[in-house]
Parts: sequence; structure tokens; C-alpha cells
Amino acid sequence: MRIQRKKSSRREKEITLNLASMIDVTFLLLLYFMVTTVLAQPEDRLSPGLQTQRDSFVGSNSDFEPQIVEVKLVDGAPAFVLGARIFRNKQHLLEALKALPKAPGVFINVFDDVDVAHATAAMQAAHDAGFKKVTYVPAK
Amino acid sequence: MRFVEAERRKRTINVELTSMIDVVFLLIIFFMTTAQFAKMTRAEVSLPQESGEQDPTPVEAGLVINITEGGEIIVNDASLDLTELEYLVKQEIAKYPDRSAHQLKLLIRADKNAESARLNQVVTLLQSLNIGAARIATEVPR
Repeated sequence: MRIQRKKSSRREKEITLNLASMIDVTFLLLLYFMVTTVLAQPEDRLSPGLQTQRDSFVGSNSDFEPQIVEVKLVDGAPAFVLGARIFRNKQHLLEALKALPKAPGVFINVFDDVDVAHATAAMQAAHDAGFKKVTYVPAK
Repeated sequence: MRFVEAERRKRTINVELTSMIDVVFLLIIFFMTTAQFAKMTRAEVSLPQESGEQDPTPVEAGLVINITEGGEIIVNDASLDLTELEYLVKQEIAKYPDRSAHQLKLLIRADKNAESARLNQVVTLLQSLNIGAARIATEVPR
């Protein structure tokens, strides 16, 4: 009697993994997350100090004159007012602020009738000009 | 004569995944329906397009005050007036051991098209509560 071991027996094994359902579910989940995902815009922040007008402009202990940027409507359009100078865009304000001494800091005096975009633009310009101390002051 | 070893090798290993997938899917549905989603602190506002301070280590905001284009104040999905906001901020300050207003991390998310009047009112209110600084959110331009 011949006893012969089958050498090809391993090849006959069939490991059946039915992946169709798995892929179905995975695809469904992928679609769900793709549909429900809300891509948030990257946000940053400006960190001004907060002061009221009375606190900031009266009785200052500083040796320096306060530097004030007023954000208000001039001739019906929003403008940045620095002393006697009036700027209509942020870039011009930035250039002017760069020339000022940085130690005393700068007050951003925002009037009620301008939009928030111009108020933040003034703060951004002050920050970009190198001011470490930027203070938001609501106008009376 | 039987050769058991040869018989075993002929068996096919059939791993049935369908049942397992059913259970996994059921679990996913269970967790999705019972999960308590975090409260959205960010209302739909169009933030000013500014690059901000680009601080590499931003501090997580404790209280987020949203101001919509129409001047509505929204905190934690609830619309508040100034009196309610004052009460809420006082409550937040009271959470700190020494009740110091300076420890409160505030983030103001004001719509870029909103009039500054409402922002000024909020700032004046915060200042009256001895909060000396706040952060104003901007949207980084792409």
C-alpha cells in the first residue's frame, strides 16, 4: 500500500473573506462624513487692551502723549484719523504708524457708526507696525 | 485507511464577516445617536479678513461672544441682551477661585459688516467688569 502525502494540499485551501459588505459600510460612512463635514476657515485673533475713553485719555501717567487712531466716518466714508492726517486704507495707516514711537502704545478709538472690519483693520495695522500695546477704546 | 491530516488540510477556512459588520454598524449607529454633541460656541458670522497676531501658541477661549451683522449677541447658541451678558460674564468670573476678572479668557467674534456700536457696548460692559483685555477673532485670508 502506497501512502502518499499530498504536496499540493496547501494550495487547495481557500480562505474566503467576503469583503463586499465591509466595503459597503465603509463607503457609506465615508460618504456620511464627507457630506456632514463643515470645513472651518482658519481663525486668528487680535488681543487689544480694553479701556473706556475717560480712563485712557484723561489723567494718563505716561510721559508720552497718547497716540490715538480714530476710526470714524469722514465725509460719509470710513477713515482712519491720526492727528490731522486722514487715511482711507489700511496700508497708508500702517506706513504712518511705523514712523511713530512704539513705547507709548496706541489707542484705537472706534466710533459707533463704522463697521467692525475697519476697527479690526486699524488694530491689525497697529500690530503690524510693531506696537506691543494696542488698546481698544469705544468712542463716546 | 483514513488519513486525518490530509482531511484537515482540505477544509476551507470561511470567515463570515457579514454578522460582524452588522454588529459594528449597529454599534456605530448606537454611538452616533446617543453621543452628546459638544455645544457649538461659534455662531455663523463673517469675520474680518485679517491675519491676526499669528501667535503659535494660542490660548483656548473660555467664553466666546458672537456679534452678528444685525448686532445680535449670541453666546452658546443663545441670543442675549446686554443685561443677560453681564450676568453670564459675572458667573464666569465667579468660577475662578479669587474671582479675578483678569483670568477670564474672552473671545469676541464680531461680524465684519456689523456696526461697531454693539462691539463698543460689549467692550464698555467688559471694562466695567474690570476685564482689561479681550481677543477679537479674525479670519485668516487664504
